[in-house]
Amino acid sequence: MLNPYIPNLTVIKKITQENDLNDIKTFKLAFNNPSKFRDFKYRCGQFAELSLFGVGECPIGIASSPSDNFLEFTVKKVGMVTTALHNCEEGEIIGVRGPYGNGWPSERLESHDIFILGGGFAFTTLRSLIKYILHEENRAKFSKLCVIYGARDPGELLYKYDLRTWATRDDIQVIPTIDRASNGWVGRVGFPNQIIKEVASDTENSLAIICGPPIMIRFTIPILVKLGFPPKNILTSLEMRMKCGIGTCGRCNIGNKFVCKDGPVFSYKELQNMPKEH
Amino acid sequence: MKGRIFDKARLSEFIDDLIKKRKIYAPINKDGLTCFSEIKSSSEIYFDFQSKLSSKEILFPRCETLFTYKRVDGDVKLEEIKVKDEESVLFGVPPCEARGFILIDKAFSSGEFQDVYYLRRRENTIIIGKSCQYPRNTCFCTSVGGSPFGREGVDLLLHDLGEKYLLELVSKKGEKLIDYIQKYENATETDIKMVQRIEKVAKESMKTRLELKNIEEKLDNMFEDPLWKIIYQKCVGCGVCTYLCPTCYCFDVVNEQITPSEGKRIRIWDSCQFPLFTLQGSGENPRPTGKERMRQRMMHKFNYYPKNYDDIACVGCGRCIRECPVNLDIREVLKKIMAQ
Repeated sequence: MLNPYIPNLTVIKKITQENDLNDIKTFKLAFNNPSKFRDFKYRCGQFAELSLFGVGECPIGIASSPSDNFLEFTVKKVGMVTTALHNCEEGEIIGVRGPYGNGWPSERLESHDIFILGGGFAFTTLRSLIKYILHEENRAKFSKLCVIYGARDPGELLYKYDLRTWATRDDIQVIPTIDRASNGWVGRVGFPNQIIKEVASDTENSLAIICGPPIMIRFTIPILVKLGFPPKNILTSLEMRMKCGIGTCGRCNIGNKFVCKDGPVFSYKELQNMPKEH
Repeated sequence: MKGRIFDKARLSEFIDDLIKKRKIYAPINKDGLTCFSEIKSSSEIYFDFQSKLSSKEILFPRCETLFTYKRVDGDVKLEEIKVKDEESVLFGVPPCEARGFILIDKAFSSGEFQDVYYLRRRENTIIIGKSCQYPRNTCFCTSVGGSPFGREGVDLLLHDLGEKYLLELVSKKGEKLIDYIQKYENATETDIKMVQRIEKVAKESMKTRLELKNIEEKLDNMFEDPLWKIIYQKCVGCGVCTYLCPTCYCFDVVNEQITPSEGKRIRIWDSCQFPLFTLQGSGENPRPTGKERMRQRMMHKFNYYPKNYDDIACVGCGRCIRECPVNLDIREVLKKIMAQ
């Protein structure tokens, strides 16, 4: 029997500061044992438990794409484990176990136009998905891709290096936006849930993927419904306190569904049939 | 029914024979606390009407090390703590708790990942139950699908016939102990009839009879019911109901640092009755008050678990009723639910 609680050992290869506040960093990891990395087959939208020895574990969405030959996590400094991780330097060893969860439904994505709405820090697994779709081996399988990504101010946008690259391509429409006008910002100002009204098309046959703070999701879903996206085509990824990551420890359930095992990706249609406890 | 019969005095011989070859866990009395523990001699066994702590902790310990880590020259070495492959016997388990293990089995073995620690221990352990002749007034196993003489989950079952014990062979796994019981006489038709008589009396003496048919469907529509707001009021959130429950299996995974360079990852029991159980790093808490937490406990046992595993996650042992510091009675809650 395989023991799911033993993490793989990885070394931190690169740390990237993502925002001006410097409380969000991207950690690029390399497995000590490369064959274990080959076994670590993940899909966009899945997560893993990061393990800081002596401190603890925390569940973090995978920010790299399965098309990458490395593993990346973007982590906000919030609690004990994430603070310890932020204090790490390149070359240090941390543990990773996973991948866990269902991830974005790739087959359904391939057959629809895709509108992605991201808000703030919750952009990490969306970035994984975008990178995956844009990969040369995959792009032809997908149709239209439109990304609206909002942050409080320009300095808080993650993956600025990716945003710049994506802006040069004609097979993706990227609209970065900030909440309030700011000096030197020439892009859009406003919430993604307003901008989607301008760009959405053929909504009945499109998918909307939305990740952000709970308040953004609460306000955006009714707008998407009104625009004509069918509830089963509105997808989001939920957050919940987790420990085991494998549906056993009993805390991340919403009704009889476990966010770690049955989620974290749920459609609005599924959420409608679940108790309001998230 | 197949079994062996022997004078009560010979039970110690049977147990001491087992101790020579296997690890034996049995109910004991530790300075007034009745619980299950490893014994080195049959004289330690203490039969109470019901032990204060259930036998759950023998297979699912309150605290167990999953692995240890050590930092050596910038590298980290992990050592998995494996559950020893040794044959054990868990003796004197009441039928309700034995059923509890079947419920935990489902949660720990279904799905993509297996809980190796629990399952290895489970596989290596033969369970000798002890039928429950005198159900307490807080017992309600028959209302949730069990029986004071239930065979579910036990490998052998010990019946108290006054002067003698009848050791009933229940499962194939129980036959592994055949060498130890062969020297005793086969139970006769009269002995078996006597067990059946006692069983009937025990079942009839069960004071609580709840009608819980369709409780899962009933609860489907009760998530927003005002009931939760009322019943949680007197709960102090101590969590004793979950700690003593033979079917509760929620746990936390934490670290313990021993020196700056070494430590261990352990798992410990946790309780859905604590606010920290679901508090997120962002400060959000989907179950911020006792209302949501009590609803979670009831829903998990009588709606969520049944949906996932087709069984009620309560065995009716009544510990949560007896030990609750504010006399919150799960039977009364169930009655209120059924009355909706």
